[in-house]
Amino acid sequence: MSYRITDKCRGCTLCAKNCPMKAITGTVKERHVIDPDRCVSCGLCGRLCAFGAIVDDRGMAAAKVPKDQWKKPRIDPALCAACSVCVENCPRECLAISDPKYHGDITMIALLRAPEDCIGCGICAARCPVEAISLV
Amino acid sequence: MSSKYGGYMGKVVQVDLATGEVSPYPWSDRERELYIGGKIMAAKILSDHLTGKEKPFSDQNLLVIATGPLTGTGAPSSSRFNISTLSPQTGLLASSNCGGNFGYYLKKAGYDALILRGQAREHTWLEIRNDKFIFHNADGLWGKKASETQAALSQLLTQDGAPDKSGKLCIGPAGENRVLYASIISNERISGRTGMGAIMGWMNLKAVTVTGNHVVRPYDPEGMLKWNRKWFHYLRTHPLTGEQLPRIGTAGLVSQMQMRKILATENFKHGQNESFEKVNGERLAEEFNVVNKGCLTCPIRCARTVALDGQEVKGPELETLGLLGGGIRNDNMELLLRWNYELDELGMDSISAAGTLAWAMEANEKGVWNCGLNFGDVGGISRLWEDIAHRRGIGDELANGSKRLSEKYGGKEFAIQSKGLELSAYEPRHAVGMGLGYAVSNRGGCHLNGGYLVILEGLGLNIDSQTPKAKADLTVMFQNLMEMISASGQCLFTSYAFFPGFLMSRPNAWYTQAVNKVLPHAGAAVRLLNRFPQLVHMHLSPVFHHTRGFQYATGMPMTFGKYMSIGNRGYTLERSVNCRFGVSAKDDTLPKRLTDELERPDEPRSRVPLDKMKPVYYAARGWDSNGIPTRSTLRRLKLKGGG
Repeated sequence: MSYRITDKCRGCTLCAKNCPMKAITGTVKERHVIDPDRCVSCGLCGRLCAFGAIVDDRGMAAAKVPKDQWKKPRIDPALCAACSVCVENCPRECLAISDPKYHGDITMIALLRAPEDCIGCGICAARCPVEAISLV
Repeated sequence: MSSKYGGYMGKVVQVDLATGEVSPYPWSDRERELYIGGKIMAAKILSDHLTGKEKPFSDQNLLVIATGPLTGTGAPSSSRFNISTLSPQTGLLASSNCGGNFGYYLKKAGYDALILRGQAREHTWLEIRNDKFIFHNADGLWGKKASETQAALSQLLTQDGAPDKSGKLCIGPAGENRVLYASIISNERISGRTGMGAIMGWMNLKAVTVTGNHVVRPYDPEGMLKWNRKWFHYLRTHPLTGEQLPRIGTAGLVSQMQMRKILATENFKHGQNESFEKVNGERLAEEFNVVNKGCLTCPIRCARTVALDGQEVKGPELETLGLLGGGIRNDNMELLLRWNYELDELGMDSISAAGTLAWAMEANEKGVWNCGLNFGDVGGISRLWEDIAHRRGIGDELANGSKRLSEKYGGKEFAIQSKGLELSAYEPRHAVGMGLGYAVSNRGGCHLNGGYLVILEGLGLNIDSQTPKAKADLTVMFQNLMEMISASGQCLFTSYAFFPGFLMSRPNAWYTQAVNKVLPHAGAAVRLLNRFPQLVHMHLSPVFHHTRGFQYATGMPMTFGKYMSIGNRGYTLERSVNCRFGVSAKDDTLPKRLTDELERPDEPRSRVPLDKMKPVYYAARGWDSNGIPTRSTLRRLKLKGGG
């Protein structure tokens, strides 16, 4: 399960600088490489690459998407059971379980603690066991 | 070697620490059908290796860390993984279950199980990253406590700036020094019982980290999602799993146990503790609990966190609260919270540590062993834990547990252990079915491996707790079910919901009372079900979601009957391995205190009538009168040649 970089890569280093898993290495103006053991298929490299040099784990070329169009997770509080699967899997660690509202509160849910860090990868939504997370 | 079934990663790997050799372990779909995963799978692997002559601390022993097929599929409370080995504490095959994140990440790395063997030449920590196995020197970690070790590992793994996405296992100083009840720690969750940590210590293995980027795929993702929604909802609205456990945790049972006279007090001299209100779950929830937490994937969230020295740490479970509270005549909650944390940090099982301490206190009181420890004298216990973990002074002796101490000094009748493993906080003389469970359990004095009949005998339902009637048959049924739930990778607490909510929330309603009255007379019917589980050729979905969940996750056809029979296979397989090590009826015992002394002199039934229940239990299991599984039983369970 890993993305790959094709020979369209110009070595601009943008992907390597932004990869949350630090899975991409390479020198300026040379083709970069993704470490298949580190890549979690978040797709950020693909959404950033201006040269269309990234293919996803199914071999499809990834398209560039401007940052303001990245989707963010919305969590349905009625379905969320605070099981923490999304928190554990988020590559940017921008999700967290909410604090109790009062002493003895047991109605915690997951929430997007740091929306500015979110890269809209959708791993949280894909892993949620009850599909309580949708991307909007 | 991939599997046709969903949920599995299809690979099992073995690592020889002595040679550094990493090789695949053959494991077929046929074996997946028969042994599922987790503790049953581990029992099969160990069964194929152990002849009955091996010693726990030797090259011939294996440490098998196995996940279940549901681990990582999104099924509720499915982060559990199981560690099985030849236990240094019991000398027998034993298993220990843990809710940390190691199992979840082991599957992400692409493995269903990891088999460790051999002694590394130097202190080692093993890093697994998908199919890369890297052995690191662990001199810098050796001697560190659990959270310190895991923080150091985290730092080592994130040097390049990537977030720490790894599952970890480690031991504390107790494991390094081979305290016989040393635990293995994963996050804040503990694989506590039967001394697994000592085996890792012998292996010179301080820690294992695992990380990977595989995805666990259920067989029917659509069906799994729909079913999960129902299942999560059911658990979150059930009075036990949606209310009691999240609100007051397992600690909430202390008050119920007091009421039912099953709260072990002063080394099991009594079943009630007059100052229980100072060390119960309600007080913990009101005064000390910061927030409830859960293992990864769990909607129940029964874990406690408490404030200690300005940081939030894990709070105690019921067993620790009972045994380190009334069990040693301590009513200081602050101290208890501290000890619980210290025991986790040092890497020792709090149940066995408390049981051994209580024995020592009574031995001192009776003049059997003048060790200077007294009931209620709670100063200096923190230092004692350190001494045990580092095997210093009397700590060196206490590190061997109550069985070995009582063999050395005398006082076996009040060494509250079975097969070398100290009992949990449930005093069995007013819950005799639990007493039977403690005695016959494969891993020794454990309430969970023993069948947890206290759930019927006062903690959920309220059947006659002192009649031996039907207890043997019910024990078999519960042991089988719990064996299979563990093997599939789920937490046993999901089975609490097996009891319909209306029975739990209305204990005095006519229908609840009727169930309480009828159950002790239902032995024959339960036995029929145990013997011919295929009669229940269906799902019991309204209350028991596991079978359908299992089917969606794996694609293996499953019914309630089949589920029970696989549990039976696992339990009997473990027993037959133990029989190779000489286990028979003579080992299925309890200390005389519980079988011969009356808990209340005016109540002639207040003891465990073990002699009455054991033969019925063996017959119900299809074992001979000496407790050995018969050939026909092994054949019926498709264990031919496994015995």
